[in-house]
Amino acid sequence: MPPVHELVTAAALVLGTFLTVVAAVGLLRFPDLFCRMHAAGKAGTLGIALVILAAVVMLLFAGEPQWSFAIRGLLAVAFQFLTTPAATHLLARAAYITDYPLADRTALDELKEYLPSRPDYPAGQE
Amino acid sequence: MTISPFLQTVCQLCLAGFFTASAICLYRIIIGPKAADRAVALDTLSSAFIGVIVVLCMLWGEWFYFDAVWILTLVGFLGSVAIARYLEKGRVF
Repeated sequence: MPPVHELVTAAALVLGTFLTVVAAVGLLRFPDLFCRMHAAGKAGTLGIALVILAAVVMLLFAGEPQWSFAIRGLLAVAFQFLTTPAATHLLARAAYITDYPLADRTALDELKEYLPSRPDYPAGQE
Repeated sequence: MTISPFLQTVCQLCLAGFFTASAICLYRIIIGPKAADRAVALDTLSSAFIGVIVVLCMLWGEWFYFDAVWILTLVGFLGSVAIARYLEKGRVF
């Protein structure tokens, strides 16, 4: 029976890998860009955060604690949680404005009233 | 810092999982009908590469490459923002 910190590391590592693979499979299988972003943005962020946290647990509890690397890992998790939603949102907005075609199965497009598509949008002006 | 046989097995399995995810993302980058699809796939690909770096650090017990993790995070964010702005406005700045 491995010690507890190794079990925690292994669990976080396996869960993170699973979520990353799920994000990739969603990227492959979903019908249009916005569904794909749904898979990649959520599962991808949590997956990579769990993998880095597994490394942080290993750095702190296996042998001598290595705080310098552990802090960099926590910083990477914080960056990931701050930046990935912003990047995904910006890409989705850009794709919607430039008239990315929605999937045939799309039932409701509530954004149509609020975000004009490209011909009405003043491109190049702030 | 040496790694126990149990964690070594788990790390190798996770490495296989990350390479599978990277292969799927590369396929989406190749076929992705438009530039936005490729940008999203590139974002996920950088996540998978971060995972590969972390797992290799754990396997080798060498943590000097750990800096690449947060650098890749920031560079991936800047790349996504640049692509999004270029798609939306036709220029980056």
